[in-house]
Amino acid sequence: MLVGALLPWASTVLPGGAYPDRATLQFFDAPHLVSGFRLHLVLLGVLAALLSRARKPAGIGVAVIALVHMGFLIGLGAPSIGGPVALAGGLLLMWPGLTAPAPELKPPGPAVARLVLLVAFAALVWLVSETLTAGGQSRATNPYGGAEFLAFCGLVLALACALSAYGVLAWLAALTDRHRFFAFSVMLVCALALPFTDAGTGYWMTVASTIGVYAATAIGLNIVVGLAGLLDLGYVAFLGIGAFTAANLAHVVPFPVAALAGTATAGILGIVVGAPTLRVRGDYLAIVTLAFGEIFFRAAQNNIGGLTGGANSIPGIPPISMFGHAFDKPLGVLPAGSLYYAVTVVMVAVAMVMLVNLRHSRTGRAWAAIREDEDVARAMGVRTGRAKILAFLVGSMMAGLAGAVFAHKLGTVGYESFDFSESVTLLAAVVLGGMGTVPGAVVGASLLFVLPEKLREFSDYRLMLFGLALILIMRFRPRGLVSS
Amino acid sequence: MTLTAERVSMTFGGLVALDDVTLAVPGNRITGLIGPNGAGKTTLFNCLTGLYAPTSGRILLDGRPLAADPAQAMRGGVARTFQNIRLFPGMSALDNVLVGRHTRIKQGLLAALLHGPGFRKSEAAATERARAELEFVGLGPEGHMPARSLAYGDQRRLEIARALAGDPAVLMLDEPTAGMNGTETADISALITAIRDRGIAVVVIEHDTKFIFSLCDHVYVLVRGRMLVDGPPATVRTDPRVIEAYLGATECSK
Repeated sequence: MLVGALLPWASTVLPGGAYPDRATLQFFDAPHLVSGFRLHLVLLGVLAALLSRARKPAGIGVAVIALVHMGFLIGLGAPSIGGPVALAGGLLLMWPGLTAPAPELKPPGPAVARLVLLVAFAALVWLVSETLTAGGQSRATNPYGGAEFLAFCGLVLALACALSAYGVLAWLAALTDRHRFFAFSVMLVCALALPFTDAGTGYWMTVASTIGVYAATAIGLNIVVGLAGLLDLGYVAFLGIGAFTAANLAHVVPFPVAALAGTATAGILGIVVGAPTLRVRGDYLAIVTLAFGEIFFRAAQNNIGGLTGGANSIPGIPPISMFGHAFDKPLGVLPAGSLYYAVTVVMVAVAMVMLVNLRHSRTGRAWAAIREDEDVARAMGVRTGRAKILAFLVGSMMAGLAGAVFAHKLGTVGYESFDFSESVTLLAAVVLGGMGTVPGAVVGASLLFVLPEKLREFSDYRLMLFGLALILIMRFRPRGLVSS
Repeated sequence: MTLTAERVSMTFGGLVALDDVTLAVPGNRITGLIGPNGAGKTTLFNCLTGLYAPTSGRILLDGRPLAADPAQAMRGGVARTFQNIRLFPGMSALDNVLVGRHTRIKQGLLAALLHGPGFRKSEAAATERARAELEFVGLGPEGHMPARSLAYGDQRRLEIARALAGDPAVLMLDEPTAGMNGTETADISALITAIRDRGIAVVVIEHDTKFIFSLCDHVYVLVRGRMLVDGPPATVRTDPRVIEAYLGATECSK
């Protein structure tokens, strides 16, 4: 075990031999500099050496980083010595498989609890900002951006596993649950503070607000799929309906009215789609919703009714403008796009509150009962038809609102943003994150919409990697990353 | 409150499941319903609880016809359990009971979204009632457990608590002691008596004739869709037609 703990250290010393000039990863270009990969490995080595419970998580992290590093070097046509050594070290660390259950930590007093939550959420935002900016904006500025990002993810994964091994994550979850209102406020404030971190540039704000739009949509889908158990494969159509409605009204009415109209239109169409599907369940429901998504997509593509612009899309949608300030311009010290980011944060927060409040209500229990056993739910007096339509209504309204923000933010709305693969990605976000849980949809949406942004060099393999990630999650965390 | 089936017949295609069945469930009594497998007991239950619409005949609750609508039956005061346990396995025991109370909770959608004071009051009252029912069936400490992880006997009890949470006037139990040993059966027997003592009429389907005859005030015997005999346990037990139906059926199956 001690050898295992030391191996990652060894790997930081080993490389430095005759590598081609191309291999200028930080791992090699400065043999004695402790940064990038090297810093991560050193940190994990220290972690493994000092804390016995954290050995396995550290091993996972080392293995991931080593794999990433090796993969990139092989991609560059260079052999790697440090990589295999680090991989061996990581695997050795994982070997003993410490199975001791995580210790139960006692909840502290309210004052301490609040302080802890404050620190925890601040740290989380910092981590999000670091994760977002890890590896730079794109391949153009940093050819190893993808590798650096993945390696950083490895470090984050290891840290999360280590915290979980010490029972800290469960403890924090319990604290959040106990001080729900406080935790929620702190989270909101911390999330709104993201523009003040390293991620506070126009580019990252745009990325973050796009994620926000998809996160809100994913929460809406989570109501339909996660709470009520209605598998909807055409859900992205409602995002499209909201977006096209707002786009058509953008020059006529101010944003709040356009957003309301988008929400209402999507809601009405949600009922229209929901009503005829009441008689079908499970697989059949999935097929019907899939067909609806396709109908919407084809109708938008062919510009039926002249409402979607067809292949030309609808360009020139004005940005949201309030109090005489256009939302796409910087505001004071805040970079451009911060206001859109704030709008999406508030939208996601509202969606979260809705999801939680509905879940703990008569309606939410009726949905859960339908999900678990529809016949019995009916026998217990639940009006199943009405409840299912309500789920479709609430879910599609959420997507419609997100769509309206989406249209104003992008300035252009085209049908190709709403194809089947987007529905699948949203569904994958819900399943990956954890069905029916609040943070689940947000975590899932963030991952699935950040990763393609970060890993442009892998864009050809995107769907394959998705599949792989889904299989891994289903194997190791069958109830999602954030299970209830 | 009385629940009655008046000349109820039910056919599925060419199969006659119930043929001109009449039955009355008086309040404050435990009524037994026995019969060989396939006699139509569960079909009769499904008619009485509004899950099936009888092909002919009527179901009356206190003299008023009961529509084939389970929500209306629950509201009217007819609640049930199922032959093979059918809980909501992924939900907590408490949430299972709260679903049973669905028809008695008044909450608008807007209230559910905003969680205002009125909502909180109604939610607290419902939760308190659900906890009381869990306590009543002996599952007080198990409220937070997912239903699927409860022991078999406890799952049967949870089903009863879920049905009781709907404030029923008539509680219909479909084979409540199936798969239980002697001690557990005696416990359920005591529980059913306690339910009757709360002023709730109980209808029990069972195969265990000893259990039925010792527990019930009145017994109906259903054979091949027809009501063969009914009366107090002592008379039914010694009725030659019942003995023939039961022992005959047993002989045939051997």
